Amino acid sequence: MQQLILGLRDGSLFALVALGLVIIHRTTGVLNFAYGHMGMFAAYITFSCYAFFGFPLLLAILTGLLFAVVLGMLTEKFLLRPIRNLSHSAMLIITLGMLMTLEGTALWIWKQDTRQLPNLISGKPLIVNLGEVFLVITRQDLLIFILTAVIVFGTFFYLKYTKVGLAVRASSQHEEAAKLMGIPVGGVYGFAWGFGTALSALAAILAAPKTYVHPNMMLNLQIQGLTAAVLGGFDSLPGAIVGGLLLGVIEQYVGEWISADLKLAVALIIIIILLLIKPSGILGKSSKRRV
Amino acid sequence: MLKLTDVKLKYGYVEALKGITLEIKEGTITSLLGANGAGKSTTLRAVSGLNHIYDGEISFMGEAIHNRSTDYIVKQGIIHCPEGRKLFPDLSVYENLLAGAYVIQDKERVKENIQRVYELFPILSDRRKQMAGTLSGGEQQMLAVGRSLMADPKLLMLDEPSLGLAPIIFEQIFDTLIELKKSGTTIFLVEQNANAALHISDYAYIIEVGKIPLEGPASELLKNDKVKQKYLGG
Repeated sequence: MQQLILGLRDGSLFALVALGLVIIHRTTGVLNFAYGHMGMFAAYITFSCYAFFGFPLLLAILTGLLFAVVLGMLTEKFLLRPIRNLSHSAMLIITLGMLMTLEGTALWIWKQDTRQLPNLISGKPLIVNLGEVFLVITRQDLLIFILTAVIVFGTFFYLKYTKVGLAVRASSQHEEAAKLMGIPVGGVYGFAWGFGTALSALAAILAAPKTYVHPNMMLNLQIQGLTAAVLGGFDSLPGAIVGGLLLGVIEQYVGEWISADLKLAVALIIIIILLLIKPSGILGKSSKRRV
Repeated sequence: MLKLTDVKLKYGYVEALKGITLEIKEGTITSLLGANGAGKSTTLRAVSGLNHIYDGEISFMGEAIHNRSTDYIVKQGIIHCPEGRKLFPDLSVYENLLAGAYVIQDKERVKENIQRVYELFPILSDRRKQMAGTLSGGEQQMLAVGRSLMADPKLLMLDEPSLGLAPIIFEQIFDTLIELKKSGTTIFLVEQNANAALHISDYAYIIEVGKIPLEGPASELLKNDKVKQKYLGG
């Protein structure tokens, strides 16, 4: 029970990371290796606004998120859109290049020192009595859980019931047909990148009190988010959420029963096993369509 | 209404259109006929801006559109119903129609248009919640045509709407085109089935390897010996 609750706590952050990865991949077909690092950079922006320029925390966070939106849209427009017709691997290489560049730039600007961002909310932690053990859940963890839930449902309804959402789904299913409907597909891609990157930034800012702000702060989360996405079938939004929560719980049990050192390795083992036996993921579609 | 003047287009090094000149008059059905690979689909793709031409001019109602983006061209009222249906497979029938009306701002108008498509193809109304990818071939074609009507086209360009259809559905779709013409929609039809196309068209162009060797009123082309031999099966 304890592992379950702690697992869901970690998992909701994985789910948040996975959600953005999946939105970008599903809409534009690009697996963004720089995804976590883009969030890291935004976390640094938030940190700088907060610690150097004395912004109130909330304003600093909003600045960081806005930065992420712009960074995502510019990346799509100027780095990826021009080479859309080339090949998938060309786009992968670009995102890898972004990863290196962002890491180097962050090191150059903010140096090696780990920086700290405070919790969004503090206060007395929640204490859950499980009979044998007491479980301590900080307010920040609770906030992450609730925020993830709100964002997940919000995203889901937005995509399902609004015109922009319809344009996003149409573009992701058939780019050319979407163009022929008069949908500005480039704008839709920019939207997906802006929104997706903002989710990475939010995850980084929420994780920052624990991971500290550091050029590699999002390394683990990127892998865990990727695993969550693969678990969910990579193109399914509910899949990303279920995958994230599941991974969180699995990691907790592995940490408890085998060794805490294996926690991150489990993510990679899951990716390998799943790709071998069920590449469509746990919620992926296996139904065949008529052509 | 639509004018192509000496339009040239390349795919890489391959010259697909070698100077196409044609005109679609308002209120007519005009066909572009030819064999596979002659450049029929490419001509439509050039008009809707999916591929850009390197020489010549395309103008719609007096405005040059060949350097414009597809979404701009769609907003001007040119709707291209592409070859091979190209539906959104994981959107429902209803959502596919809704996507077709993307450029229409007026919600009432969208509702009316959906009703109109359901009246035209009642089977789509029965299947409105079904995913488009699960429809039969004929139903998919109806949806493709229905979807292209959603944006109130001034000029409707259809690429091989008869491909792979059972005769009864084929007739239904062609009847629909005649109805559309009566209601004032101009139609640019690309077809391999030259016989059927000529029977509903006012004017037609024959395309061969990126050029137009022959054109004329459809009734005359039906009698033309060359056309008979090559495209009407003797």
